[in-house]
Amino acid sequence: MNYILSLFIDFLAKFDVPREVALVIFPIIPFCVVAAALILVVLILVLAERKVLALFTQRKGPNRVGIWGLLQTVADAIKLLCKENIEPNVTDGILFTLAPIIAFVPVLICWGIIPFSSEFDFMSISTSALLFVTIAFIPVIGTVLAGYASNNKYSLIGSIRSVAQVLSYELPIAFVLLSIAVLASSLNIKDIILSQISMFQVCGWYIFPCFLGFIIMFISSIAELNRCPFDLPEAESELVAGYNTEYSGMRFALFFLGEYAMMFASSAFIVALFFGGFLSPFGFYISEKIFSNNVIAQLFVYFEQAFWFFLKTFVVVFLIMWVRAVLPRLKSSDLLKFSWKFLLPLSIINFLFICIFKYFVLLGGIK
Amino acid sequence: MINIDLLKEYFPDITVNDDYIFVEHDAFDVISFLKSKNYVDFDVLTQIIATDYVDFVQLSYRLYSTVSNDFLNVITNVQNETSSIVKLYKSAHFDECEIYDLFGINFIGNDNIHRLYMPESWVGHPLLKSYVQNDERLVWND
Amino acid sequence: MTNLLKTMEINVGPQHPSTHGVLRLVLELDGEIIKSCKPVVGYLHRGIEKMAESRSYLQYLPIVDRIDYLGGFFNSYAYCDCIENLLNVEIPVKAQYIRVLCMELNRIASHLLWLGTFMLDLGASSPLFYCFRDRERILHIFEALTGQRMMYNYFTFGGVRFDIPNEILEDISSFVEDMPECIKDYENIITTNPIFTSRCVNKGIITKRNALQYSITGANLRASGVGLDFRKSCPYLTYDNLEFDISYADGGDAYSRYKVRIFELYSSLKIVEQCIDFIRSSSEPILNKSVKPVMLNIPEGEYTSIVEASRGLTSCTVKAGGKTPYRVKWRTGSYYAVQLLPELLVNCEVADMMAIFGSLDVILPEVDK
Repeated sequence: MNYILSLFIDFLAKFDVPREVALVIFPIIPFCVVAAALILVVLILVLAERKVLALFTQRKGPNRVGIWGLLQTVADAIKLLCKENIEPNVTDGILFTLAPIIAFVPVLICWGIIPFSSEFDFMSISTSALLFVTIAFIPVIGTVLAGYASNNKYSLIGSIRSVAQVLSYELPIAFVLLSIAVLASSLNIKDIILSQISMFQVCGWYIFPCFLGFIIMFISSIAELNRCPFDLPEAESELVAGYNTEYSGMRFALFFLGEYAMMFASSAFIVALFFGGFLSPFGFYISEKIFSNNVIAQLFVYFEQAFWFFLKTFVVVFLIMWVRAVLPRLKSSDLLKFSWKFLLPLSIINFLFICIFKYFVLLGGIK
Repeated sequence: MINIDLLKEYFPDITVNDDYIFVEHDAFDVISFLKSKNYVDFDVLTQIIATDYVDFVQLSYRLYSTVSNDFLNVITNVQNETSSIVKLYKSAHFDECEIYDLFGINFIGNDNIHRLYMPESWVGHPLLKSYVQNDERLVWND
Repeated sequence: MTNLLKTMEINVGPQHPSTHGVLRLVLELDGEIIKSCKPVVGYLHRGIEKMAESRSYLQYLPIVDRIDYLGGFFNSYAYCDCIENLLNVEIPVKAQYIRVLCMELNRIASHLLWLGTFMLDLGASSPLFYCFRDRERILHIFEALTGQRMMYNYFTFGGVRFDIPNEILEDISSFVEDMPECIKDYENIITTNPIFTSRCVNKGIITKRNALQYSITGANLRASGVGLDFRKSCPYLTYDNLEFDISYADGGDAYSRYKVRIFELYSSLKIVEQCIDFIRSSSEPILNKSVKPVMLNIPEGEYTSIVEASRGLTSCTVKAGGKTPYRVKWRTGSYYAVQLLPELLVNCEVADMMAIFGSLDVILPEVDK
């Protein structure tokens, strides 16, 4: 961040803006960038999901609004914004309104934690990976409140299921994160990414020692996101729409937006832990080769890193969508059994394996 | 095929025809006999057909045997009530509810009988020939 | 003071995404376990039996397609069969083969829709689209043949309304050629899927005794270990000249019902293939001209037809009474399957409800009539 900050101060200095003002204004910029990127990414994701599902089921997908249906989600978003906000009489008013906000805001924070490139690291604290996992858990409180405040039995069952599900899948995630922390000797996401730099390029990525961990993390992330085959809280064939049955208009849009933004954030987290985050898969950056000017090259490297990050994330997102297209839904009891009896022991074994691996293979690497 | 002589021996007052057995008033005993293993095992009740002949309602029990692949038609004429055969065939429950609903026949022994299609507040039994359409007594309250 | 062990009463339907129409189930839940279940039917009651009493025999014919809108040909045939038998008329052999062809194609379409919605109930969205893709081909054939996609009104007293043109026969035979591959595709993504099997195997077991007690027929009965198919045991039309197998499974669970229905798709295709061969080579008339349907006046009499429809035994009883039927009674398969629900659902989880209910292939217009 420091490099961009200094560029920003220099830039404002040309207009005689004092350094202090620049320092105050500066934090607003990342916020705006994240907010704008989030909206953009969600719009793309919703469209991508529909297109991908259409691809798997031999349909065309949305193709009416804009070229190739590109503006379809924009149209949907406008529709949701303009819709009347229906609130049933018997709801718990304040909580009913608060629930979507609680479900959405943590997602924004999660986005802020992820370092999209070595410079675009907005909230760099030493335990950011731990912070991410913790904050990613908060939306479930919004879900519970939604289920409770809706005063609807379907919503209530949906939110109860949601809690059971998130609680049981939080533990495998923690163990996988622990093994990654052991490998990287750090809990800072940026450090974890940087420690994946190796002379064997792609082989340095943690997916290779920790492939089992990736599988566990992938499954648990899908479960935390309440997506198929773990979409029990909103299983439409059983619970109509689960916890958001009574929501409409902008409140529903917040849940919807939060779900997709969280899907992207979780994928980004997986990419950061296992696929070298913003590192280029070639071991060098194309910008370095193109631009001879060092300052410009450096600036473009940051954007290139962000590009790689987004590319890898979209691959993971595609995988999640693929899973949705193929699998039927699990039963709630099977879901809990699967986590406690299979994933949790597996993740502990994985953790032990990584510890041994680290001790014997990588020990020489620790400075 | 069914053993008519044996049936006649047990139930002297029934009329046995080519394609049906006619029983006065209450068919429960005959059906329970037909269902029992010592006779041809009529294990399926395919349906109960009720027809309103103004003076009486005719119930026709259609039995089927998966063992001998035979259909049997047991006919009885009833006025207002008759014995329920839910104890013999559980599938009779909906049929009896339907006949109770549409013909107003009460089935004694079926504790759970209720109107199947029409709302509980409906006046009259639609499949009776005497049913008046657009009855003024009918109040749309639910 | 509130009772912490109180059960929750939840109302599923009549407007619910997976009750396949307007079934209402009043469930009593203890956590996610169903403690009691009460089906409430009648939301789609149109008085189809009462309607017959004020219409002529021909006027009633288009209505019967609506009893089971996914298997209109079966109802249509059941009614026509009654009238033909009451009038004592023979129908030409070619018309019989055309009827068999239509009914078997209809059975395939109906089973495909069942498969799609069943998988949707289990949460898999893709199979729905594959099934609808193939069902669409059948509906196109029906549209070309009868002018309607669902309510065909194609069979008439004494035969069928139109001959099948050669182009449509070509369409049908190319469909029959492609279909086995498609069914294999479904089986590849469904049959051995661990999530699917874990949700279906040993779920909603109908014992043989229960199946007979509740008068379950069709694929549901065959999945309970009774090899009863009225196409074989009481052959109607030309079924005794056709070669086909009936299958049955012993499990009685949702998975057996799935297996039986998948097998039925193959056997129906086999029947369709044989029908095409006959229809191609035959130049007989398709209608018995001696029937004058418009002013039918049938003397008193009674006939019950027996049809193995896609959801079990469909039978129509017509008691003739001059110019209008005195009484028409319909017996349908789903009607009895709904009655079985309380027996199957008690002590199951809510998630199992969908697998069990979906596997029974219940369609509500058939129940409510």
